[in-house]
Amino acid sequence: MKRFSLVSRVGLLACVVALVVGTIVAAALLAILSLRKSEQSESRAKDVTVATLGVQTLAIEIESSLRGYVISNNHSPRYLTTLHQARGQLPGALSRLDRLVGDDPIQLRRAHDAAGQLQSYLRDYVDNVILIAKISPPDARGAASSDEDKRRTSAIRGTLRSILQTENLRSVRRAVHTRAVSRTAVIIGVVGLAGSAVLVLLFGAWVASGVAAPLRRVAAAATEVTRGDFSVRLDEGGAGEVGTLVSAFNSMARSLEVGRRELLLQNERLRESEQHKRELISMVSHELRTPLSAVLGFTSLLLERDFPPEEQQRYLEIVDTQARRLASLAGDFLDVQLLEGGGFELERAPFDLIELAREQTRLFFSHTELHELVLDLPDEPLIIDGDRDRLAQVVGNLLSNAIKYSPEGGVVRVHVGTQDGRAVFSVSDSGLGIPPEDRDRVFDKFFRGAAKETTVGGTGLGLAVAREIVTTHGGSIAVDSSVGHGSTFTFELPLTLTPAATVSA
Amino acid sequence: MNGNSPDGRPRALIVEDEDTLRELIIVTLGEAFDCQEAIDADTALEMLRAAPPDLMLLDIAMPGRSGIDVLREMRADPELQKVPVCVVSAWQSPRDVAAALEAGADRFLAKPFRVDELASVARSLVERRR
Repeated sequence: MKRFSLVSRVGLLACVVALVVGTIVAAALLAILSLRKSEQSESRAKDVTVATLGVQTLAIEIESSLRGYVISNNHSPRYLTTLHQARGQLPGALSRLDRLVGDDPIQLRRAHDAAGQLQSYLRDYVDNVILIAKISPPDARGAASSDEDKRRTSAIRGTLRSILQTENLRSVRRAVHTRAVSRTAVIIGVVGLAGSAVLVLLFGAWVASGVAAPLRRVAAAATEVTRGDFSVRLDEGGAGEVGTLVSAFNSMARSLEVGRRELLLQNERLRESEQHKRELISMVSHELRTPLSAVLGFTSLLLERDFPPEEQQRYLEIVDTQARRLASLAGDFLDVQLLEGGGFELERAPFDLIELAREQTRLFFSHTELHELVLDLPDEPLIIDGDRDRLAQVVGNLLSNAIKYSPEGGVVRVHVGTQDGRAVFSVSDSGLGIPPEDRDRVFDKFFRGAAKETTVGGTGLGLAVAREIVTTHGGSIAVDSSVGHGSTFTFELPLTLTPAATVSA
Repeated sequence: MNGNSPDGRPRALIVEDEDTLRELIIVTLGEAFDCQEAIDADTALEMLRAAPPDLMLLDIAMPGRSGIDVLREMRADPELQKVPVCVVSAWQSPRDVAAALEAGADRFLAKPFRVDELASVARSLVERRR
């Protein structure tokens, strides 16, 4: 039943109610027709009875006036007048009866019988008795009281009585049938009306259960949505249009929920990026100030005071290193723009990766006494085709991280080699290490992990830039780390030159 | 009263984690002060308690505890309450400056500082105390 749409529910009910009403009307029509027929046949029966009684009256008048005429001694003409009058009326009365029973063969035959009996009575008996009476009254008296008179008149009466009885019987039967038909019509009407009322009530309940209740649930759920609860869902299903409404509501709530989740996520990302920018600005100003202090301080000391040449040399070296640090910071911020703009322009040329490793380690380990450098490099050059400056930036970043994140000092191991036709470069330290939950994020820009809470400086850009450079070269970069034992950063690059070319280089 | 160094110069304790800046401050003040150095808060407090100096130059952001922690402990210690402190910090928002002065700093120098200003602030702090 649940599958019926509302339109088909209403249509179905309309059909059933129409059928019931049609039946009631048909029954009433039948009853009315039957009543009318019954009325007609009753009035015909009445007419036939009246006509028959008329004939009978005439017959009795003829009989009694004949007897009066015969019995009275003076043969009063008064009796004959009455008899003639009655006789004169008889054909009219008979033909009326004939006409009335014309459609009924049995009654017609009886009417004809009665007419024949009357005619033969008048012709063969009445006329003869009058004739006898005129000639010999006593003989006529004998004849009038004879058996023949009785026989003939009782035969006529019998015929007329049978007409009356038949007509009466038919009238009664018709009345009984009519009563039965109207009783049936009344029963059909009452049962039909009651049935229709029950049907309408049932339909109301059906509509209430199939439409009103689900609509109420949809309205309540819509109110929840208005209040901001997009997680509300309705049970799917329901009759036709209601089911469609429920599933449309659910998909609306779903898409609202998804939309809001996306908005919240986007908002969260925007907030995070805003936070990163604020931290970056603060970090930049702090990161710049330390080397700037050294550069400005030592230059003004060198300008104002006289120092022995070896001290002058040392201070100038400090100024040089710190100025480079500033330049590298400026480079990092330029790289942010490159990262945001997407992609680097590489200036590729063949160069020796081993030589690059030696140069960068020399640069980074000249100022630290806490760290011990272990170089694990092959003897032959390892020529690759790439952007030397950019890759130097990557190596420099890994080396400075290795030093920065092992503040207690320790061994920094640099290994370069080949594996599966690719150049592999790794830098291991024995420093703080990276917690597992942060390992996937160290290459995200501005991510600084636990370093944010310490005074280990940095912008959180170095590794993001390094990854961008390595992947633009067609390589990859990864980290392996253990908290408290140190980290190993490894990047690999495709080897683009053959071993023969390597040897000749 | 804290006892100058044997050659009569006042003693200054330089607390700074950045090697080059520590060296810069020592070179700047070296003629007028007998400089001692500490690279973190704990070493600084240890040295303070061993022999209270005539002046302290204090960085705020350092590995481990911060310069603010050092200031608070000093100001709670009757022996160290009077030691003049000049904070030298790269963090110089009004909030950072207020936090340093509230914790008991006498002066606040922002990085990058001018070396002549550093020298004159150091001198005036020591003289004012005398």
